[in-house]
Amino acid sequence: MATDIVMPQLGESIAEGTIVKWLVPLGAQVKKDDSLLEVETDKVALDIPSPATGALTEILIQEGETVPVGTLLARLDYHSESGNGDSATSTIQSPVSSGHGHLTISGSPDLLSPAVRDLAAKHQVDLSRITGTGMNGRITKKDILEFLDKQGLAGKESGDSLMGQPASVTPSLEEELIPLSSMRRTIAERMVKSRQTAAHVVTFFEADFTTVEPTRQELHLTYLPFVIKAVTQGIHAFPILNSSWSNKGLILKHSVHIGVAVAVEEGLLVPVVKHADQKDLRQLGQEVADLSQRARSKQLQPEEVQGGTFTITNHGGTGSLFSTPIINQPQIAILGVGAVLRRAVVVNESIEIRPMAYLSLAFDHRVIDGATADQFMLMVKSVLEQPSWEVTS
Amino acid sequence: MEISQSEFLHLYYFLKLTRALEERVTTLYRQGRIVGGAYTSHGMEAISVGYASALQADDIIAPFHRDMGAFLVRGITPGEVLAQYLGKRTGPTKGKDGNVHMGDLKRGIIAFVSHLADNLPVATGVALAFKLRGESRIVATNTGDGGTSRGDFHEALNFASVRRLPVVFFCNNNQYAYSTPLHYQMAIKDVVERAKAYAIPGEIVDGNDVASVYLTAQRAFQRARDGGGPTFIECKTMRMHGHSEHDSAKYVPRELLEEWKKKDPILNAERRMKELGYAGEPEFQEIHMRVEREIETAVEFAEQSPLPEGSEALEGVFAANPVEVLI
Amino acid sequence: MTTSAIAHEVTYLEAISQALDEEMSQDERVFLMGEDIGPYGGAFRVTEGFQDKYGEWRVLDTPLAESGIVGAAIGAAMMGLRPVVEMQFADFISCAFDQITEMAAKNHYRWGAEVPLVIRAPFGGGTHGGPFHSVCPEAWFFHTPGLKLVAPSTAYDAKGLLKAAIRDHNPVIYFEHKFLYRRVKEVLPAEDYIVPIGEAEIKRTGSEISVITYGAMVHVALEAAEALDQEGIDMEVVDLRTLSPLDTDTVKDSVRKTGKVIILHEDTKTGGIGGEIAAILAEECFNALDAPIMRIAAPDIPVPYSPPLEDFFLPKAHDVITAARQLAAY
Repeated sequence: MATDIVMPQLGESIAEGTIVKWLVPLGAQVKKDDSLLEVETDKVALDIPSPATGALTEILIQEGETVPVGTLLARLDYHSESGNGDSATSTIQSPVSSGHGHLTISGSPDLLSPAVRDLAAKHQVDLSRITGTGMNGRITKKDILEFLDKQGLAGKESGDSLMGQPASVTPSLEEELIPLSSMRRTIAERMVKSRQTAAHVVTFFEADFTTVEPTRQELHLTYLPFVIKAVTQGIHAFPILNSSWSNKGLILKHSVHIGVAVAVEEGLLVPVVKHADQKDLRQLGQEVADLSQRARSKQLQPEEVQGGTFTITNHGGTGSLFSTPIINQPQIAILGVGAVLRRAVVVNESIEIRPMAYLSLAFDHRVIDGATADQFMLMVKSVLEQPSWEVTS
Repeated sequence: MEISQSEFLHLYYFLKLTRALEERVTTLYRQGRIVGGAYTSHGMEAISVGYASALQADDIIAPFHRDMGAFLVRGITPGEVLAQYLGKRTGPTKGKDGNVHMGDLKRGIIAFVSHLADNLPVATGVALAFKLRGESRIVATNTGDGGTSRGDFHEALNFASVRRLPVVFFCNNNQYAYSTPLHYQMAIKDVVERAKAYAIPGEIVDGNDVASVYLTAQRAFQRARDGGGPTFIECKTMRMHGHSEHDSAKYVPRELLEEWKKKDPILNAERRMKELGYAGEPEFQEIHMRVEREIETAVEFAEQSPLPEGSEALEGVFAANPVEVLI
Repeated sequence: MTTSAIAHEVTYLEAISQALDEEMSQDERVFLMGEDIGPYGGAFRVTEGFQDKYGEWRVLDTPLAESGIVGAAIGAAMMGLRPVVEMQFADFISCAFDQITEMAAKNHYRWGAEVPLVIRAPFGGGTHGGPFHSVCPEAWFFHTPGLKLVAPSTAYDAKGLLKAAIRDHNPVIYFEHKFLYRRVKEVLPAEDYIVPIGEAEIKRTGSEISVITYGAMVHVALEAAEALDQEGIDMEVVDLRTLSPLDTDTVKDSVRKTGKVIILHEDTKTGGIGGEIAAILAEECFNALDAPIMRIAAPDIPVPYSPPLEDFFLPKAHDVITAARQLAAY
């Protein structure tokens, strides 16, 4: 049997020791309790007695070396004389936890910590809009901060004051109070905030959808994929339309992700067609259809409504001719598409009936000026009116 | 060695001043004008007046609560003492502490704490400072017979002796520690026996004879000043009042008190001064009147002094650290 | 040409020696008292060689009498000297309790006498010292107005706090952790410096959980913080450094940031400093709390001797990690 010789703890504060001398040569026999080696520490120099009788079969740490307490120094081979000689190792490991510091209060959705109450009060946050990620669904401080961060509201004014509403209203008998849905609140906050943030200017153009029509019918598409296509090409020509404002400067986005406003039962959702500039009409058509359908059936994933760099609102779908849309922050422009209606227009000095639609571009005058916006719109218009659309475009 | 007329008159004046001041304390206490306890050295004044008078101006005392005479000799005024008793802002502790718990390093007095004998190790440290700096100053400290049972007493005597520190230890052996008589305090008859264990020279002196205390102290102080180390001086006396003024001390046999009454230190001093031809009744009467006037002034001062504001309690827990500039 | 000395790492223990040496050489009022500190150099060799350098009287071996030693140091301090008393082990400070709490702590308050005294108290466990060579007695004195208490965790702080303590005009108990003596080391500035008494230090910045601790437990907390970092739990470690007067501002600022707090100390739990910190946070930082305040401390037992028992007794990084996970999930 073998036993380990380790650097002993030679004093309360001692962390390491130096081997001065091996008093027994490698391979030699040593008797139990006879001196085996000489060790020196900051406090003492001592002979270390052998823990057992046997042969010194292995020396791992040489004379002059300094090693931490507990380091394996050598091995001793011995024959068990009375069967109890193997308790020589002086290191005793204890895996036992001292069992301190256990939390006995569990969380629940109703349990609001002082920090959560305080933040919610300060920012007038409707806690019913936050899904708690803490223990048993508890709303954590982090949840609130992330919520406020998403709203861009942390440390700023409260949502309610943004909406210009008194904190509480009691309806009269002639009135009825319809509680605000979470989506309603979000839309309200975002719209008001956008109005307060951006310098909105709207420019109107009219586009002729004549050349769009044959391809649209062939592919069974709505007008929207064509508009997306035109917008992405406009962005390629004027990348600044695909940017956002920050106090440090404009953030130009290299990816083109087009948000498409979709009316749903409770309000409005804006799913995002990612990398719209890299997709053809058919793909755009399928994706828009899929996103719209899933928006209405509440099956969108969070990431599918995030990351938009430019938004298109198809208000024409409900017959509207033109609108002054509100920019979806932090983007800098939104394009409104009016109803495509057959109208009498002057073409080559004659009056013709053409499928026409008004396009409204609301842009942030902080970022771009009217000329840029109009040049962008002329580009969009010219793409839509291109002589012939390729099915694969 | 004999005591001079002026020295004796000085001692007599302070005996009378101490007596008169403490009698006034007793009166004020019984009138309910002193809020806390009142402790007197009635009948034991010769000890504190005697040893304190033998000190030099830059020496230090580390006294205890039967040492009113020493406080007065070192320059604490009767007005300050009464202000302290009345909890006034003008007392040496500004109302933070009461009765005899006062000190002032400028006047060479280290305040004691109620834990008797605590001041003895402190006194050895004072002596150590003198020794480290090579100064010829000394420190005198005093405690009662009860205090000599504390470990601090023994730790102090041992350390002082080992390092031959310039400290002189007095013991006011007034036979009782509160209600505990000496024979239940220690199995030895004389407290001075304790000093032997520390190889400290010990002396027994009549604590009611101010001249003896004064002269014995002088010798011990000179020895300490000359590098001869500590001395222990047991002053035999009797506590004539209770432990404090609320204590009627019925546990003390009346005969014992009657016996010691005859040995009153003031009567002793008057007798001796007459023998020596230093003074007679007219002089005693004159000093008596002077002392009474001083006490009246002191009472007036103390009573007219303002009490501290409650919030002053928050002041002075820590000493402010001056901004130190390292060169 | 200048030759810069080769910067070498200084242990916590050497840092203490350096502080004593530097203060003694630049201020002749500073002197040392204690048991076996002279030719022997102290039980832990902090004052090795000091008596040769400064003489028998400035490195004064005393009788075995802690109350007498502290009492004498108080007397010397009041006479204008700057005594530094070594308790051989902090455990023995109980013998000097009366002098420290009644005399040293109250003198300035009562009658304005300054007591510029330092008591060095080698404390703490992890060294198999058993019930009388391992205690953390700081809470006894934490409860005593008039005392300053410091407990450094690094060699830098050990040196800077000791120098600050020696220069302070008040009694300071300097709790030096035995376990750290030769286990922590770092390169120290060549120039004179102090670590001001009363200032905590953020030893690791984090955003989610604050660990408030001191002494050897700072290293336990840092070890736990590194492990938790792998799990995405971002823990801040506040080293109090001074226990009295407490730097409550730093503690509160940290908790206001994180909202979750673990108070960690090696001393036993009941009546420990952690309870006071928890109370301060509850009183003054209630609105910042996003979870119950947690304390991790030793169980309410004397420090046991046998390694498995002592291991069980001492708070470990594992305990901090477990608690932090619970708080993170809370």
